[in-house]
Amino acid sequence: MGDNKTPRNIFDGFINAAVTLIDSPVTWFRERVVTPNRESYPWYHQKFRRVPTIDECYTDDVICFYEANSQFKRDKAVDSEILTILRVRMEDCNMFHGPDAEAKCKSLVETYKEAEANWFCKYGDLGFHGNVKDAYMKQKHRMVWERRHGPVGSGMRDAAAAAGDE
Amino acid sequence: MAAWSTLAKPQQTSAVLQGIRRLLAPNATSDLRHGITQQIRCGGGHHKEMFITPSRFQWNKCKDMVHYYVFLGVIPLSLITFFVNIYVGPATLTPIPENYKPKYWEYYRHPVTRFISRYIMPNPQMEYERHMNVLHEEEERRQLYLLEKKVKQLMAERSDYQAYYYSPNTAIKYYRKMKEVKKEENDRQGDNL
Repeated sequence: MGDNKTPRNIFDGFINAAVTLIDSPVTWFRERVVTPNRESYPWYHQKFRRVPTIDECYTDDVICFYEANSQFKRDKAVDSEILTILRVRMEDCNMFHGPDAEAKCKSLVETYKEAEANWFCKYGDLGFHGNVKDAYMKQKHRMVWERRHGPVGSGMRDAAAAAGDE
Repeated sequence: MAAWSTLAKPQQTSAVLQGIRRLLAPNATSDLRHGITQQIRCGGGHHKEMFITPSRFQWNKCKDMVHYYVFLGVIPLSLITFFVNIYVGPATLTPIPENYKPKYWEYYRHPVTRFISRYIMPNPQMEYERHMNVLHEEEERRQLYLLEKKVKQLMAERSDYQAYYYSPNTAIKYYRKMKEVKKEENDRQGDNL
Protein backbone atom coordinates (compact mmCIF):
# COMPACT_ATOMS: atom_id res chain seq x y z
CA MET A 1 0.00 0.00 0.00
CA GLY A 2 1.15 3.54 -0.52
CA ASP A 3 2.64 4.78 -3.73
CA ASN A 4 6.27 3.82 -3.94
CA LYS A 5 6.76 5.55 -7.25
CA THR A 6 8.85 8.72 -7.29
CA PRO A 7 6.65 11.59 -6.13
CA ARG A 8 5.55 13.99 -8.79
CA ASN A 9 5.46 17.00 -6.50
CA ILE A 10 5.77 18.02 -2.87
CA PHE A 11 2.15 17.24 -2.07
CA ASP A 12 2.53 13.81 -3.57
CA GLY A 13 5.63 13.26 -1.51
CA PHE A 14 3.87 14.43 1.62
CA ILE A 15 0.96 12.08 1.08
CA ASN A 16 3.35 9.22 0.37
CA ALA A 17 5.21 9.94 3.59
CA ALA A 18 2.00 10.07 5.62
CA VAL A 19 0.75 6.77 4.23
CA THR A 20 4.14 5.12 4.74
CA LEU A 21 4.22 6.37 8.31
CA ILE A 22 1.03 4.49 9.12
CA ASP A 23 1.59 1.54 6.84
CA SER A 24 5.18 0.45 7.50
CA PRO A 25 4.84 -0.66 11.16
CA VAL A 26 1.80 -2.73 10.23
CA THR A 27 3.53 -4.27 7.23
CA TRP A 28 6.66 -4.98 9.28
CA PHE A 29 4.63 -6.69 11.98
CA ARG A 30 2.78 -8.75 9.43
CA GLU A 31 5.85 -9.86 7.53
CA ARG A 32 8.16 -10.46 10.46
CA VAL A 33 5.89 -11.74 13.21
CA VAL A 34 2.71 -13.06 11.70
CA THR A 35 3.44 -14.86 8.46
CA PRO A 36 6.46 -16.95 9.54
CA ASN A 37 4.60 -18.31 12.56
CA ARG A 38 1.50 -19.47 10.72
CA GLU A 39 0.93 -22.77 8.96
CA SER A 40 -1.54 -22.57 6.13
CA TYR A 41 -4.40 -25.02 6.26
CA PRO A 42 -7.39 -25.32 3.97
CA TRP A 43 -11.08 -24.69 4.15
CA TYR A 44 -13.60 -25.69 1.50
CA HIS A 45 -16.90 -24.66 0.04
CA GLN A 46 -19.47 -27.34 0.70
CA LYS A 47 -20.93 -29.05 -2.35
CA PHE A 48 -24.42 -30.43 -1.90
CA ARG A 49 -25.71 -33.31 -3.98
CA ARG A 50 -28.79 -32.66 -6.09
CA VAL A 51 -31.83 -34.40 -4.62
CA PRO A 52 -35.23 -35.01 -6.28
CA THR A 53 -37.17 -31.81 -6.80
CA ILE A 54 -40.72 -31.23 -5.61
CA ASP A 55 -42.26 -32.36 -8.87
CA GLU A 56 -40.71 -35.80 -8.38
CA CYS A 57 -42.13 -36.28 -4.87
CA TYR A 58 -45.29 -38.10 -3.88
CA THR A 59 -47.85 -35.98 -2.04
CA ASP A 60 -47.51 -37.86 1.25
CA ASP A 61 -43.73 -38.14 1.16
CA VAL A 62 -42.61 -35.79 3.92
CA ILE A 63 -38.93 -36.63 3.65
CA CYS A 64 -38.85 -35.95 -0.08
CA PHE A 65 -40.60 -32.65 0.55
CA TYR A 66 -38.12 -31.69 3.30
CA GLU A 67 -35.14 -32.41 1.08
CA ALA A 68 -36.67 -30.57 -1.86
CA ASN A 69 -37.46 -27.60 0.38
CA SER A 70 -33.91 -27.48 1.77
CA GLN A 71 -32.57 -27.59 -1.78
CA PHE A 72 -34.97 -24.81 -2.76
CA LYS A 73 -33.74 -22.60 0.08
CA ARG A 74 -30.11 -23.24 -0.83
CA ASP A 75 -30.82 -22.47 -4.48
CA LYS A 76 -32.63 -19.30 -3.46
CA ALA A 77 -29.63 -18.14 -1.44
CA VAL A 78 -27.26 -18.85 -4.34
CA ASP A 79 -29.52 -17.14 -6.86
CA SER A 80 -29.86 -14.10 -4.62
CA GLU A 81 -26.06 -13.82 -4.41
CA ILE A 82 -25.74 -14.14 -8.19
CA LEU A 83 -28.33 -11.39 -8.61
CA THR A 84 -26.42 -9.21 -6.15
CA ILE A 85 -23.21 -9.61 -8.13
CA LEU A 86 -24.94 -8.65 -11.38
CA ARG A 87 -26.60 -5.69 -9.69
CA VAL A 88 -23.30 -4.47 -8.24
CA ARG A 89 -21.71 -4.63 -11.68
CA MET A 90 -24.56 -2.69 -13.23
CA GLU A 91 -24.58 -0.06 -10.48
CA ASP A 92 -20.81 0.39 -10.60
CA CYS A 93 -20.99 0.89 -14.36
CA ASN A 94 -23.83 3.38 -14.04
CA MET A 95 -22.12 5.30 -11.28
CA PHE A 96 -18.79 5.39 -13.10
CA HIS A 97 -20.14 6.63 -16.41
CA GLY A 98 -22.76 8.97 -15.04
CA PRO A 99 -24.49 10.70 -17.97
CA ASP A 100 -23.08 8.22 -20.51
CA ALA A 101 -24.52 5.26 -18.64
CA GLU A 102 -27.38 4.67 -21.04
CA ALA A 103 -25.05 4.08 -23.93
CA LYS A 104 -22.10 2.46 -22.18
CA CYS A 105 -23.79 0.07 -19.75
CA LYS A 106 -26.55 -1.33 -21.92
CA SER A 107 -25.50 -4.99 -21.88
CA LEU A 108 -24.97 -5.07 -18.12
CA VAL A 109 -28.35 -3.46 -17.53
CA GLU A 110 -30.09 -5.91 -19.86
CA THR A 111 -28.42 -8.88 -18.22
CA TYR A 112 -29.43 -7.66 -14.79
CA LYS A 113 -33.01 -6.90 -15.78
CA GLU A 114 -33.44 -10.34 -17.30
CA ALA A 115 -31.92 -12.03 -14.23
CA GLU A 116 -34.15 -9.97 -11.94
CA ALA A 117 -37.27 -10.94 -13.89
CA ASN A 118 -36.30 -14.60 -13.77
CA TRP A 119 -35.60 -14.42 -10.02
CA PHE A 120 -39.00 -12.87 -9.47
CA CYS A 121 -40.64 -15.52 -11.62
CA LYS A 122 -39.27 -18.25 -9.40
CA TYR A 123 -39.00 -16.77 -5.89
CA GLY A 124 -41.00 -13.55 -5.85
CA ASP A 125 -44.31 -12.93 -4.04
CA LEU A 126 -44.11 -16.15 -2.02
CA GLY A 127 -44.02 -14.35 1.35
CA PHE A 128 -41.85 -15.10 4.35
CA HIS A 129 -43.24 -18.60 4.80
CA GLY A 130 -43.11 -19.47 1.13
CA ASN A 131 -41.80 -22.99 0.57
CA VAL A 132 -41.07 -25.08 -2.47
CA LYS A 133 -44.67 -26.24 -2.79
CA ASP A 134 -45.84 -22.63 -3.06
CA ALA A 135 -43.24 -21.97 -5.74
CA TYR A 136 -44.38 -25.06 -7.65
CA MET A 137 -48.00 -24.00 -7.46
CA LYS A 138 -47.01 -20.51 -8.58
CA GLN A 139 -45.40 -22.06 -11.65
CA LYS A 140 -48.49 -24.14 -12.32
CA HIS A 141 -50.76 -21.09 -12.04
CA ARG A 142 -48.53 -19.12 -14.38
CA MET A 143 -48.56 -21.92 -16.95
CA VAL A 144 -52.35 -22.17 -16.80
CA TRP A 145 -52.65 -18.40 -17.13
CA GLU A 146 -50.29 -18.42 -20.09
CA ARG A 147 -52.31 -21.19 -21.71
CA ARG A 148 -55.46 -19.11 -21.38
CA HIS A 149 -54.19 -15.62 -22.06
CA GLY A 150 -50.91 -15.92 -23.88
CA PRO A 151 -47.46 -14.98 -22.63
CA VAL A 152 -47.17 -12.96 -19.45
CA GLY A 153 -47.10 -9.30 -20.33
CA SER A 154 -49.39 -9.52 -23.37
CA GLY A 155 -52.59 -8.70 -21.49
CA MET A 156 -55.67 -10.71 -20.57
CA ARG A 157 -58.20 -11.95 -23.08
CA ASP A 158 -61.88 -11.94 -22.14
CA ALA A 159 -63.48 -15.08 -20.76
CA ALA A 160 -64.89 -16.39 -24.02
CA ALA A 161 -61.65 -16.06 -25.92
CA ALA A 162 -59.69 -17.60 -23.06
CA ALA A 163 -62.04 -20.57 -22.79
CA GLY A 164 -62.06 -21.02 -26.53
CA ASP A 165 -58.30 -21.21 -26.87
CA GLU A 166 -57.78 -23.61 -23.99
CA MET B 1 -26.63 11.51 52.11
CA ALA B 2 -23.05 12.11 51.29
CA ALA B 3 -23.11 15.23 53.41
CA TRP B 4 -23.38 13.17 56.56
CA SER B 5 -19.85 11.92 55.98
CA THR B 6 -18.51 15.41 56.43
CA LEU B 7 -19.42 15.12 60.06
CA ALA B 8 -17.04 12.21 60.31
CA LYS B 9 -13.97 13.82 58.84
CA PRO B 10 -11.64 14.86 61.60
CA GLN B 11 -9.77 17.45 59.56
CA GLN B 12 -12.53 19.95 59.08
CA THR B 13 -14.32 19.84 62.40
CA SER B 14 -15.08 23.20 63.86
CA ALA B 15 -15.24 23.92 67.55
CA VAL B 16 -18.99 23.42 67.58
CA LEU B 17 -18.72 20.04 66.01
CA GLN B 18 -15.90 19.03 68.31
CA GLY B 19 -18.12 19.94 71.22
CA ILE B 20 -20.90 17.80 69.80
CA ARG B 21 -18.49 14.92 69.35
CA ARG B 22 -17.37 15.17 72.94
CA LEU B 23 -21.01 15.12 74.05
CA LEU B 24 -21.78 12.04 72.00
CA ALA B 25 -18.70 10.06 72.76
CA PRO B 26 -16.65 11.52 75.60
CA ASN B 27 -14.27 8.59 75.63
CA ALA B 28 -13.78 8.44 71.91
CA THR B 29 -10.34 8.45 70.47
CA SER B 30 -10.02 10.15 67.16
CA ASP B 31 -7.33 8.30 65.33
CA LEU B 32 -6.42 7.96 61.70
CA ARG B 33 -9.67 6.25 60.74
CA HIS B 34 -12.34 8.26 58.99
CA GLY B 35 -14.86 7.78 61.63
CA ILE B 36 -16.11 8.48 65.03
CA THR B 37 -15.24 5.62 67.22
CA GLN B 38 -17.31 4.66 70.14
CA GLN B 39 -16.32 2.57 73.05
CA ILE B 40 -18.73 -0.01 74.20
CA ARG B 41 -19.59 0.58 77.81
CA CYS B 42 -18.84 -2.64 79.47
CA GLY B 43 -17.71 -3.37 82.89
CA GLY B 44 -14.39 -4.95 82.37
CA GLY B 45 -11.34 -4.04 80.58
CA HIS B 46 -11.69 -5.05 76.95
CA HIS B 47 -12.17 -2.13 74.62
CA LYS B 48 -14.07 -3.27 71.53
CA GLU B 49 -14.78 -0.46 69.20
CA MET B 50 -17.46 -0.08 66.60
CA PHE B 51 -16.41 2.06 63.72
CA ILE B 52 -19.10 4.20 62.22
CA THR B 53 -18.01 4.91 58.68
CA PRO B 54 -19.74 6.01 55.52
CA SER B 55 -20.75 3.22 53.21
CA ARG B 56 -17.99 1.73 51.07
CA PHE B 57 -20.45 -0.54 49.27
CA GLN B 58 -20.37 1.24 45.90
CA TRP B 59 -16.58 1.40 45.86
CA ASN B 60 -16.24 -2.27 46.77
CA LYS B 61 -18.87 -3.24 44.21
CA CYS B 62 -17.07 -1.21 41.57
CA LYS B 63 -13.83 -2.99 42.35
CA ASP B 64 -15.61 -6.36 42.16
CA MET B 65 -17.05 -5.53 38.76
CA VAL B 66 -13.72 -4.32 37.41
CA HIS B 67 -12.02 -7.48 38.64
CA TYR B 68 -14.69 -9.71 37.14
CA TYR B 69 -15.13 -8.09 33.74
CA VAL B 70 -11.54 -7.08 33.09
CA PHE B 71 -9.45 -9.82 34.66
CA LEU B 72 -11.77 -12.67 33.77
CA GLY B 73 -13.31 -11.24 30.60
CA VAL B 74 -11.36 -8.62 28.74
CA ILE B 75 -7.82 -9.85 29.38
CA PRO B 76 -8.20 -13.60 28.74
CA LEU B 77 -10.42 -13.13 25.70
CA SER B 78 -8.13 -10.46 24.25
CA LEU B 79 -5.10 -12.67 24.75
CA ILE B 80 -6.85 -15.65 23.18
CA THR B 81 -8.04 -13.55 20.25
CA PHE B 82 -4.62 -12.01 19.72
CA PHE B 83 -2.67 -15.24 19.80
CA VAL B 84 -5.18 -17.24 17.78
CA ASN B 85 -5.34 -14.62 15.06
CA ILE B 86 -1.59 -14.10 14.92
CA TYR B 87 -0.19 -17.60 15.40
CA VAL B 88 -2.96 -19.82 14.00
CA GLY B 89 -4.62 -17.51 11.52
CA PRO B 90 -7.54 -18.05 9.16
CA ALA B 91 -7.61 -20.84 6.60
CA THR B 92 -7.05 -20.53 2.86
CA LEU B 93 -9.83 -21.45 0.46
CA THR B 94 -8.87 -24.47 -1.64
CA PRO B 95 -10.81 -26.66 -4.03
CA ILE B 96 -11.82 -30.00 -2.61
CA PRO B 97 -9.24 -32.66 -3.53
CA GLU B 98 -10.31 -35.78 -5.37
CA ASN B 99 -11.67 -38.65 -3.29
CA TYR B 100 -11.54 -36.61 -0.11
CA LYS B 101 -14.60 -35.88 1.95
CA PRO B 102 -13.93 -32.83 4.17
CA LYS B 103 -15.01 -32.98 7.79
CA TYR B 104 -17.92 -30.78 8.68
CA TRP B 105 -15.77 -28.23 10.57
CA GLU B 106 -13.48 -27.74 7.58
CA TYR B 107 -16.14 -25.68 5.85
CA TYR B 108 -15.39 -22.65 8.06
CA ARG B 109 -12.58 -20.13 7.77
CA HIS B 110 -11.76 -18.72 11.20
CA PRO B 111 -10.04 -21.03 13.71
CA VAL B 112 -12.40 -20.12 16.55
CA THR B 113 -15.44 -20.87 14.36
CA ARG B 114 -13.85 -24.17 13.40
CA PHE B 115 -13.24 -24.96 17.08
CA ILE B 116 -16.84 -24.19 18.00
CA SER B 117 -18.16 -26.21 15.09
CA ARG B 118 -15.92 -29.17 15.86
CA TYR B 119 -16.22 -29.45 19.62
CA ILE B 120 -19.42 -27.69 20.60
CA MET B 121 -21.94 -27.79 17.78
CA PRO B 122 -23.37 -31.03 16.33
CA ASN B 123 -22.69 -32.31 12.83
CA PRO B 124 -25.17 -30.55 10.51
CA GLN B 125 -25.59 -33.59 8.31
CA MET B 126 -26.37 -35.74 11.33
CA GLU B 127 -28.96 -33.21 12.54
CA TYR B 128 -30.48 -33.07 9.05
CA GLU B 129 -30.88 -36.82 8.88
CA ARG B 130 -32.13 -37.03 12.46
CA HIS B 131 -34.76 -34.45 11.66
CA MET B 132 -35.85 -36.42 8.61
CA ASN B 133 -36.20 -39.52 10.75
CA VAL B 134 -38.40 -37.62 13.19
CA LEU B 135 -40.52 -36.32 10.32
CA HIS B 136 -40.91 -39.84 8.93
CA GLU B 137 -41.96 -41.30 12.27
CA GLU B 138 -44.43 -38.51 12.93
CA GLU B 139 -45.88 -38.90 9.46
CA GLU B 140 -46.41 -42.63 10.05
CA ARG B 141 -48.18 -41.86 13.33
CA ARG B 142 -50.28 -39.29 11.57
CA GLN B 143 -51.31 -41.74 8.83
CA LEU B 144 -52.35 -44.30 11.44
CA TYR B 145 -54.37 -41.65 13.24
CA LEU B 146 -56.09 -40.58 10.03
CA LEU B 147 -56.92 -44.19 9.20
CA GLU B 148 -58.44 -44.76 12.64
CA LYS B 149 -60.42 -41.55 12.34
CA LYS B 150 -61.81 -42.59 8.96
CA VAL B 151 -62.80 -46.02 10.27
CA LYS B 152 -64.62 -44.51 13.24
CA GLN B 153 -66.40 -42.05 11.01
CA LEU B 154 -67.63 -44.78 8.69
CA MET B 155 -68.76 -46.95 11.58
CA ALA B 156 -70.64 -43.96 13.01
CA GLU B 157 -72.29 -43.33 9.64
CA ARG B 158 -73.26 -46.87 8.84
CA SER B 159 -73.67 -48.31 12.34
CA ASP B 160 -73.07 -51.75 10.93
CA TYR B 161 -69.88 -52.90 12.57
CA GLN B 162 -69.59 -54.48 15.94
CA ALA B 163 -66.39 -52.82 17.11
CA TYR B 164 -65.80 -49.37 18.55
CA TYR B 165 -69.46 -48.40 18.34
CA TYR B 166 -70.83 -51.54 19.97
CA SER B 167 -70.63 -51.80 23.71
CA PRO B 168 -72.02 -55.22 24.66
CA ASN B 169 -74.40 -55.34 27.60
CA THR B 170 -72.71 -58.06 29.61
CA ALA B 171 -74.74 -57.24 32.73
CA ILE B 172 -77.98 -58.64 31.29
CA LYS B 173 -77.80 -61.85 33.32
CA TYR B 174 -77.62 -59.81 36.55
CA TYR B 175 -80.65 -57.82 35.42
CA ARG B 176 -82.56 -61.08 34.84
CA LYS B 177 -81.57 -62.43 38.26
CA MET B 178 -82.59 -59.22 40.01
CA LYS B 179 -85.88 -59.27 38.12
CA GLU B 180 -86.57 -62.76 39.45
CA VAL B 181 -85.67 -61.70 43.00
CA LYS B 182 -87.88 -58.61 42.83
CA LYS B 183 -90.76 -60.66 41.45
CA GLU B 184 -90.42 -63.15 44.25
CA GLU B 185 -90.40 -60.36 46.88
CA ASN B 186 -93.36 -58.69 45.25
CA ASP B 187 -95.27 -61.94 45.33
CA ARG B 188 -94.49 -62.40 49.01
CA GLN B 189 -95.01 -58.85 50.23
CA GLY B 190 -97.56 -57.46 47.83
CA ASP B 191 -97.82 -53.99 46.28
CA ASN B 192 -99.16 -52.13 49.26
CA LEU B 193 -95.84 -50.60 50.40
